[in-house]
Amino acid sequence: MGSRASTLLRDEEIEEIKKETGFSHSQITRLYSRFTSLDKGENGTLSREDFQRIPELAINPLGDRIINAFFPEGEDQVNFRGFMRTLAHFRPIEDNEKSKNAAVSEPLNSRTNKLMFAFRLYDLDRDDKISRDELLQVLRMMVGVNISDDQLGSIADRTIQEADTNGDNSISFNEFIKVLEKVDVEQKMSIRFLH
Amino acid sequence: ESLSEGEIAALKEQLEEKKKLIVTLRNKPWRMKKRLVLLKEAQKFVEEFEGALGKGKGKKLYAFKVMMTKKLIKFKRDFENFKTACIPWERKIKDVESHFGSSVASYFIFLRWMYGLNMVLFGFMFGLVVLPEILMGLPYGSIPRKTVPREEQDTAMDFSVLNDFEGFCKYSFLFYGYYNNDRTIGVLKFRLPLSYLLVGVGIFGYSLMVVIRTMARNSNEGGDGAEEGEFTFSWKMFTSWDYLIGNPETADNKFASITTSFKESIVDEQENQKDENIHLRRFLRVLANFLITCTLGGSGYLIYFVVKRSQDFAKMEQDKLSWLEKNEVEFVMSLLGLVCPPLFETIAELEDYHPRIALKWQLGRIFALFLGNLYTFLFALFDEVNEKLETEKSIRNATIWALNQYYANYSSYFNTTDVPPPNVSPADVIRGPCWENAVGIGFVKLVVSDIQVSYLTILVGDFLRAVIVRFLNYCWCWDLEAGFPSYGEFDISGNVLGLVFNQGMIWMGAFYAPGLVGLNILRLLSSMYYQCWAVMCCNVPHERVFKASRSNNFYMGLLLLVLFLSLLPVVYAIMTLSPSFDCGPFSGQDKIYDVVMETIEQDLPSFIANIFTYATNPGLILPAVLLMLALYYLNAVSKGYKQANMDLKKKMKMARDEEKNRRNNKDSTNQVMIDLEDLLPKKSLIPPPIEEEPTPPGVVNAKGSKSPKMKPGAAAKGVNLQKDVSLAAPNPRAPVTYAPGPRRGPAGNARGPQPGPSRGRGRAGPPR
Repeated sequence: MGSRASTLLRDEEIEEIKKETGFSHSQITRLYSRFTSLDKGENGTLSREDFQRIPELAINPLGDRIINAFFPEGEDQVNFRGFMRTLAHFRPIEDNEKSKNAAVSEPLNSRTNKLMFAFRLYDLDRDDKISRDELLQVLRMMVGVNISDDQLGSIADRTIQEADTNGDNSISFNEFIKVLEKVDVEQKMSIRFLH
Repeated sequence: ESLSEGEIAALKEQLEEKKKLIVTLRNKPWRMKKRLVLLKEAQKFVEEFEGALGKGKGKKLYAFKVMMTKKLIKFKRDFENFKTACIPWERKIKDVESHFGSSVASYFIFLRWMYGLNMVLFGFMFGLVVLPEILMGLPYGSIPRKTVPREEQDTAMDFSVLNDFEGFCKYSFLFYGYYNNDRTIGVLKFRLPLSYLLVGVGIFGYSLMVVIRTMARNSNEGGDGAEEGEFTFSWKMFTSWDYLIGNPETADNKFASITTSFKESIVDEQENQKDENIHLRRFLRVLANFLITCTLGGSGYLIYFVVKRSQDFAKMEQDKLSWLEKNEVEFVMSLLGLVCPPLFETIAELEDYHPRIALKWQLGRIFALFLGNLYTFLFALFDEVNEKLETEKSIRNATIWALNQYYANYSSYFNTTDVPPPNVSPADVIRGPCWENAVGIGFVKLVVSDIQVSYLTILVGDFLRAVIVRFLNYCWCWDLEAGFPSYGEFDISGNVLGLVFNQGMIWMGAFYAPGLVGLNILRLLSSMYYQCWAVMCCNVPHERVFKASRSNNFYMGLLLLVLFLSLLPVVYAIMTLSPSFDCGPFSGQDKIYDVVMETIEQDLPSFIANIFTYATNPGLILPAVLLMLALYYLNAVSKGYKQANMDLKKKMKMARDEEKNRRNNKDSTNQVMIDLEDLLPKKSLIPPPIEEEPTPPGVVNAKGSKSPKMKPGAAAKGVNLQKDVSLAAPNPRAPVTYAPGPRRGPAGNARGPQPGPSRGRGRAGPPR
């Protein structure tokens, strides 16, 4: 598997992906072998069905939205470059990167970008606000029929109250960041490469 | 290649840095000492790692070292995984927790902890007392105490006799009477009586240490979650799913647990929002407590009365008493145990506490009730012991008299003074009543009947009830599932107390029945599986699911109390009562603790004996023991405080660093602000109303008290009030074109710990 993978992925491509995403050589090779193992049709692209075959995504209430995040607007297939571009959000933040001054363009896996990825999972209509209805949708997916609709509504209202600081009854990206500032996002939203 | 390219690159960079440092060291404005230290460090680094990059001989060594480090990390990770996998029943308890909430699960966690404790006690008892006696002591049938007496031999193997723990059971290693009083046994010269006494006392000592240590550990964990007061619902909303779950069953559990945790938070919120009519509530609580005290007093008197009557009955002819009169005490006890707890629960509805607090009150009250149980049992036992002591005196005199007769006859018949010991088979020797065995048997019978009653209650009260409700529902007039009787809820307080009192019985009885601890292990093991099955199969979650208190200290406190209560009778028996003359490891001695004195005199050097006689003054021992216990507890608690201190210091340091960064180099902090603004469309950048500075200090105080009452105001009166409780000033949103003003002294620091990391995120306060 490993040897087949490396012959299909040329060194120049690896260099380009490295520059774009920041993954190391060995990490890219690992991810490529994962890509090929998911690609049952062996045509170099992944479709939504390929993703839904992953058990962790299949039972995840937000699974469909995560899968959507891989596909650019309107497309149904994602190639390896697109795959890596999305996964770049989950690259672990190394210690020496934290202390350096931020580069001119912020890397894809900064804390803000990770949070932006998460924010977009909830903000379906892309208006950069999580409204009460969007929260209700998420709640219904997570909890189902076990809690009454009234209580679900109160939970959504309460969540907005906790997070909303500018009074527009929805959660903007800044408020989202504020809510999660004590959560160790860098560690939770990172692929754990076990070298 | 064990080194990846990234690592080589990073290493090269570090190497360059160190080399540069060595060259420029003279120009740095540091003290000599610091320069020397840094120089040595840099030189060592260069020497070591230049080899790794192929420039010297050290490359292979370096590569080897790196590989070993990686292997070590992997090994440590695997070991941690293994240790976690070894924790028994974790899956089961997680299942219960997901479906029934953390309060029900806390009972099972307590049960598992008890199992661990009992395993250790079993290890002590078995390894140091039972095993030596079996392996190195005299076998069954060789001496009188190890043989079934002749008159009982016909019935010794009958089931009914064994069920009462008479017959073979009584003369086996399960009970005190089996153990021989030889000072040393076997080739290894193992001192069995000394070991028996020390193990008996050591069981209490170890249990005490473990309970105190667990209490201390639990009390530390209370400090961590203190900041969870903010954003509870938001965090549950956005971060509760575990994305690493791949198994459908686990996913079901996770669904259930998310639902349960939302319900728990809702209950907590409701409690905070309740309307306060203080006077009515206080009056109702006083009334409820008064009623319950009356009930407890009444039951106490009833128990006393019944025990008195049973003592009178015992003096009368046994045949003339009816079944009711013979078993009056047990009957009254069971009746009280069945009737009073529901009564307490109904009265407790007047008090209207948070379910967690109501549970504690309920536990305390039932505990007081069951103390009456304990009192009668001990009383009855004590009576029996006294009786046996009396009989023993007479039998002992008779035996001595018979022996003297034999010697006199023999020497006069054969005209010798060298008299061989009487050639009597062990089964025929006259036996004393052996009160310790009676005590041991009493405890074992109590524990066994307790086990039977509790298992039967679960079977009938939960399983049968569930079966009836489910299947009779098809042909019944009203809805059995929704109305009466419906499915049962798991009775946390009853079960916890049962466990605690059971353990008290074990502690009391372990000295007289070494097999009791083994019995308890089996009981706890089967109880875990049985109750887990019963809960998942026959019970429904409580209507108001509430989160268990963060520390299990309440259960531990009860356990500690019971430990002390069970310590007292045993210590009293060791110190005052004299052991039987013909059974047990202390037979023939005046007091049980004489073994210790004997060992000291014979086995240890003489000066220790002197020290010991001075030190065994009770006035010295008691304060010393209490002092040591207090020190141990305080030491264990102080570790937790140290940790909390370190965390706070770290937070303050981070806050100060960010402040410094902000003052010295505003670029590094504003970068994030600029990035943010680049990412978002312009319409989100509506500037919010500017906050007034005076509110934050006042808000700090309110927030500092961590009173949950702040939230209901916020929740009930709409969004505006919520702003008052948000600590940090909001983003100014306009580009910052002026330097931040002079730092506000202490007030700025007072806010330090809370908004720590956020302070550096380009959050320049409003200009002063």
